[in-house]
Amino acid sequence: MHREPARPHTLTNFTTALDQLRKSVLMMSSLTQRNLKNAIRGLQDRDDDSCNNCIAADEEIDLLEIQVDREGIEVMSRFQPVASDLREVVSSIKIGANIERIADLGVGIARRARKLNEHASLPEVHLLDGATVLAQAMFDDAVRAFAERNTFLAVELKSRDGELDRMNREITDALIDRMQDDSANLPAYLNLIFISRCLERIGDHACNVAEDVVFAVNAEDIRHLGK
Amino acid sequence: MSSRTTPGTPDFFAGEGKGTSVFRLLRNNILSVLCVSLSLLTLVPLFSIVVLVVGNGLPLISTSLFTELPPPPGGDGGGIGNAIVGTFLMVGISLVISVPVGILSAVYVNEYAPVSRIASSVRFVAKLLTGIPSIICGVFVFAAVVMTTQKFSALAGGVALSMLILPTILLTAEQALLGVPNSFREASFGVGATPFQTIWRIVLPEAMPAIMTGVMLSVARAAGETAPVLFTALFSQNWIHSLMEPAASLSVLIYNFASLPYPYHIKLAWSASLVLVTLVTVANVLAQVIFRPRHR
Amino acid sequence: MIPSEIPGSPSTPPVLALTDDFAPGESNFIKVRDFRFFYGKKEALHGINLEIPSRKVTAFIGPSGCGKSTLLRNFNRMNELIPGVRHEGDITIHGTSIYDPSVEIIALRRRIGMVFQKSNPFPMSIYENIVYPLRIAGQNSRQVLDETVERCLRSAALWDEVKDRLHESALGLSGGQMQRLCIARAVASRPEILLMDEPCSALDPIATAKVEELIIELKKDFTIIIVTHNMQQASRVSELTALFYLGNLIEFDNTRKIFTNPSKKQTEEYITGRFG
Repeated sequence: MHREPARPHTLTNFTTALDQLRKSVLMMSSLTQRNLKNAIRGLQDRDDDSCNNCIAADEEIDLLEIQVDREGIEVMSRFQPVASDLREVVSSIKIGANIERIADLGVGIARRARKLNEHASLPEVHLLDGATVLAQAMFDDAVRAFAERNTFLAVELKSRDGELDRMNREITDALIDRMQDDSANLPAYLNLIFISRCLERIGDHACNVAEDVVFAVNAEDIRHLGK
Repeated sequence: MSSRTTPGTPDFFAGEGKGTSVFRLLRNNILSVLCVSLSLLTLVPLFSIVVLVVGNGLPLISTSLFTELPPPPGGDGGGIGNAIVGTFLMVGISLVISVPVGILSAVYVNEYAPVSRIASSVRFVAKLLTGIPSIICGVFVFAAVVMTTQKFSALAGGVALSMLILPTILLTAEQALLGVPNSFREASFGVGATPFQTIWRIVLPEAMPAIMTGVMLSVARAAGETAPVLFTALFSQNWIHSLMEPAASLSVLIYNFASLPYPYHIKLAWSASLVLVTLVTVANVLAQVIFRPRHR
Repeated sequence: MIPSEIPGSPSTPPVLALTDDFAPGESNFIKVRDFRFFYGKKEALHGINLEIPSRKVTAFIGPSGCGKSTLLRNFNRMNELIPGVRHEGDITIHGTSIYDPSVEIIALRRRIGMVFQKSNPFPMSIYENIVYPLRIAGQNSRQVLDETVERCLRSAALWDEVKDRLHESALGLSGGQMQRLCIARAVASRPEILLMDEPCSALDPIATAKVEELIIELKKDFTIIIVTHNMQQASRVSELTALFYLGNLIEFDNTRKIFTNPSKKQTEEYITGRFG
């Protein structure tokens, strides 16, 4: 269900504070999107600069997570929000935590990509192409669902998680086979497995964000309802 | 003034205009002096009355004043005992009549039917009657009671006095009832009390001090009225034995004796004046002191 | 008034209930049916339909002039003290209409206790304040009165504070104590229902908290309806909340639902402070 935010509060400070909280979350999201893109570019294009940018920019996202928490608590203590406002604040705090985890996973991908880039390129990197696209798409959609308060998108997003899990399993299986054949490149294959894992977990966190969006907008809790 | 502020900060008092303050102060002082002197002026007649009455009335104050009958014209000795009794009696009768009627009417007008036509009529008439000349009361009761009973009597005197004080008691009682906060009534109704219980247990007790003040003030007035008593109770040189007999009263005694050519009677008149003034004062003081408002 | 189902997108299952929620409409304790109320020509309440269950706290909230106090004061017919009022529709308690000719207003008011916004103890001693409802009902036995005073003051969490000065004037108490005294007085004749018209609006936060704690204790024995301006108070103490606006009932539901996910947009706007 779509519910547009109603008129601003009679107390303008309240509306301003809520808007500020939202902005902080959106800023976190766009930074994380950029970092994730950099990490993946670093992996696929063997570009160390992109990896380094991703790793360096993570600190800002960590600080933003702290800021989101602080702003959320401040809104709750100052204004005693109820109903939609309360749900929005609680969701924002949780979404902040999830985005920070996604950013950390991006950093993980960047570090492993850097290691991979030290050696010769592996054709098996392309096994991950589909997963990188899906994971990024899921995260992008999660951010959009939050920005637009779009619950249809959020619900639809959840359904793609199974696909990503499947991809991860296939990649892992394929890489394990390759490891048995080509034991010289074992470390490289392990890094790839790890990266695939990271992508799968990015998808999970994107689903968490989607669930929190649905809760904020609809007051529905769609977690743990069985896949 | 700017010497008080630290240099650099704006002068707080700037712009207040100092030019007219001298004239304003002077005008203020003149007014204050005027008020004080006029107030003192009002005390002069009161003070002089007291001095005069006490000075002239004190000599004859003794127990015999209160226990003996007045002497015949030209005679000596004697007191004003019957007049004192008569005044008390007639004021008493007037209270017996007007206090219940006044209070209960006020209760009806204020508690039971405050917005009705009866209520507004009662209020209107009561206000009119407060201004009625006391002699009219006397004349009316003369026609209504004395003529029908064919007698001058203490009863008639009491009735005339009651007519005089009833409007005051009613209006005072109404004000007193109005002064009881509505929250008390609400609380009482809220626990399921009837209007009667509310009035009897809460409203009246709370209003009583103010009502009693009004009653005491009416007593003071009634004790001193001459005209209503003049052709209803007439006068008597003897002790009274029944309500249907003429009765002496302090006010009429003063009226009678003060115009006699006998010095002793004139002295008696002064003493009666002293007694009357004392009575009125005591009644007023009682009203202020005993019936002051309770815990607030 | 039956609340609508919790809204959700068709393909998702409804919200899991966390504890036993009460569904309005299941009880028939106090029923308000098509109730309209007029001050002279002015219609103050338009067709209210409401069912209030017993032994729970129901809060009436809404902006000033919305009719919540008016409706409250109709339950014990206190509004009839005002000249020129009339009503249409009915209010029944346990199935009997309060306007039934066989029902004495006095008896009705003894079965319903009321606490007002500004505490109004009588200008008497604490003891006499509490036994007043009993005395007017003809009960003068010293033993019964003493027991009642202790019971009521204990119920109002005031006993320890005043037990040594029962015969001192009630007007010497603090604001919070006076209000608790009024609550004690209200429960003296063992009513079933307690009506509270903004009982804490004149009290400081500590006194307010004590009264709120009292309300939560009292609901074990009484059905409580509280009118309040303070929405946080409504959410703290009540199990059901009714929102009124301009003489209409906008929404009536579990307090938890109203304050986390109300059904009506007007309710949402009012409680989040987007009104006006």
